[in-house]
Amino acid sequence: MLSVNGVVKTYETVRAVDGLSFEARAGQIFGLIGPNGAGKSTTIRMIMNVIAPDEGTIRFDGKAFSESMKARIGYLPEERGLNRKVRVIDTLVYLGVLKGMEPVAAKARAEAWLERFELSGWKNEKVETLSKGMAQKVQFIGSVVHDPDLVLFDEPFSGLDPVSQDLLLDAVLDLKRKGKTVLFSTHVMEQAERLCDNILLVRKGSELVSGSLADLKSRFGSNSVQLEFDGDASFVDALPCVEAVRSLPRWIEATIRSGHSSDELFSAVAGRLGIRRFQLMEPTLHAIFVRLVESDENCAEGGAYHV
Amino acid sequence: MSRLKAIIRHEFRLMAANKTFVVLTILGPFLILAVTVLPGLLSMNPKALSGGEPIAVSGADAGLASALGSASAFQGRSIQITGTDERSLADARKLVLSGKLAALVLLPPGWENTGASLYTKTGTDAALYGAIGGVVDSHAREVRIQRSGVDPVLAGELTRRIGVSIIKLGSGDTEEAGGEADFVQTLFTAMSFVMLVYMTTLLYGQMIGRSVVTEKTSKTVEIMLSSVSPRELMFGKILGLGLAGLLQYGVWVALALVLSKAVLPLLGMAAPPAVAPGNLAWLVVFFVLAFFLYASLYAALGAAAEDEQHLGQLAWPVLMFLIIPLVMISSFVSNPGSPLSVILSLFPMTSPIVMLIRVLIAPPPFWQLALCIGLLVISVYGAAAAAARIFRVGILMGGKRATLREMLKWLRVH
Repeated sequence: MLSVNGVVKTYETVRAVDGLSFEARAGQIFGLIGPNGAGKSTTIRMIMNVIAPDEGTIRFDGKAFSESMKARIGYLPEERGLNRKVRVIDTLVYLGVLKGMEPVAAKARAEAWLERFELSGWKNEKVETLSKGMAQKVQFIGSVVHDPDLVLFDEPFSGLDPVSQDLLLDAVLDLKRKGKTVLFSTHVMEQAERLCDNILLVRKGSELVSGSLADLKSRFGSNSVQLEFDGDASFVDALPCVEAVRSLPRWIEATIRSGHSSDELFSAVAGRLGIRRFQLMEPTLHAIFVRLVESDENCAEGGAYHV
Repeated sequence: MSRLKAIIRHEFRLMAANKTFVVLTILGPFLILAVTVLPGLLSMNPKALSGGEPIAVSGADAGLASALGSASAFQGRSIQITGTDERSLADARKLVLSGKLAALVLLPPGWENTGASLYTKTGTDAALYGAIGGVVDSHAREVRIQRSGVDPVLAGELTRRIGVSIIKLGSGDTEEAGGEADFVQTLFTAMSFVMLVYMTTLLYGQMIGRSVVTEKTSKTVEIMLSSVSPRELMFGKILGLGLAGLLQYGVWVALALVLSKAVLPLLGMAAPPAVAPGNLAWLVVFFVLAFFLYASLYAALGAAAEDEQHLGQLAWPVLMFLIIPLVMISSFVSNPGSPLSVILSLFPMTSPIVMLIRVLIAPPPFWQLALCIGLLVISVYGAAAAAARIFRVGILMGGKRATLREMLKWLRVH
């Protein structure tokens, strides 16, 4: 659906985006993840043709951007801004009509979305009366009211309370279910972890790592197992597949020796201990990020990882 | 619905709900009422113009007192004869200072040869002072003639004024007897029309500039540009506001026509000749041209500006061209055909206002009118095209203060 190839954007002397490439496919949620100032917003704005890349290409279904594509794309910019003097429903209908909808259809769709976000009571109020979180939900609706095939959300969850975050999360998953292409940026790794099929970790404008979240986790899979049990686990330390053990009376964390697998540990302990929990510890995205940043800084010119 | 149409409709609605717009639309007719009715009313009842405070005269003979009392220019004011002693004079001066007397006329002994003095508080009611001066002066003449022994009838015949009547030539060899009142009415109408065009052009131009810069700083523009092109956004705004402006002028013109064609004749009054349908049409034409020219310029400046304050700085040169004709208005009115008037009525930045004055005072040659409108149309087209380019580059430029020089550079961006 969307493919980005080697885009570069330089502001004055700073390379905000330095040769990023990725592809977002239909029916998938793609996460552009990185700390503040990593170049996520700049990338999204280049995709949206709000600013032009210095180098590189951006293709939609193989075609370059054109005015007529705007109707098929939904965009939630990082910095929210709606005309404060206009009523909520008029704002949404206007945004829908600008995307080529008929006013009546836009109104019906906007009302359904307001209902979903528990904002029906506010539809005739002016935008300026809304709280920050409510305004953000309204703006989210504005970006999807025309049922776009591709949606770009720049930090969609920032500043929302947990209940609203869940409402938004469901809405995003719904879009995925309907076969839409979703691309969103965030600096909160936990959100990315819950939502994304594919991710691109960005740092200082360049790629740190990219790929499917599942592959990434096994690639960076840590080699430790957490075990909760009843019984005496002192024998675990001596097992050939175990390199090191941190142990408490009814809990241990065992590091698997390289060349061995966690299955060996499982068969060794099965039957000898009353196992309450046996968990392969997957690294969090956060942990992966931290590890990559550290190794990146160790070997300054080290290339990006690909999975 | 096309995107451009949607923007026009949205901006039109925003404008129509705007307080300033509503107030101006409602107050406009009162301004027109003032133009059409007030001059007539005032000439019928001069008391409404001046206050009724009496005038004190010290040292006058009975003849002068009665001449002053019957002089038409200060009808309604009574004449008080004051003593010539120090105390009476001091009292009269106090009354003048406190505003209870309009003026104190002091006639010292031998005044008919040496002159008189007039004491006032404000020193600005030139019409009143002129009238008093005239009566005193002519009475002094009469006294001197009497004393010289010349036959008063002969002297009167020799010093009679013949009067020069003013006739305004119209096209088609029409002659129009006019007078000071007509001239004042025409001037009054011209001033009002010019003020309307100036006010609305400036107001709407600044509104467009502010609207653009607000959308830019609030980042609304990113949402807009994810749906429409910069060109559509800019022209949608200009056309939407322009439509609202036209609606407003439509209301005003309709009211002026109803007043001058229906209401005033019923009251037995004539509308000022300058409030003719043809002149009202010119008013609308020059507003439209001025609006599009200045709206394009302000849209470009708004897109280039970083915030409202910066917009104010950038807009100074533009504002100057709007103010210049206003400052020089009396020169255009008294000499509508002077080289300066002609040049400024052709130069597009000032021509809508200056040409409107000329059309109202004395019809300019056809070629000048045609050239003026032709130049304006070309300028509007050029300004809109240039503004569209500056707008496209400037609208997304953030965090940097663009200079006019940089904006010229953006014109070359493709």
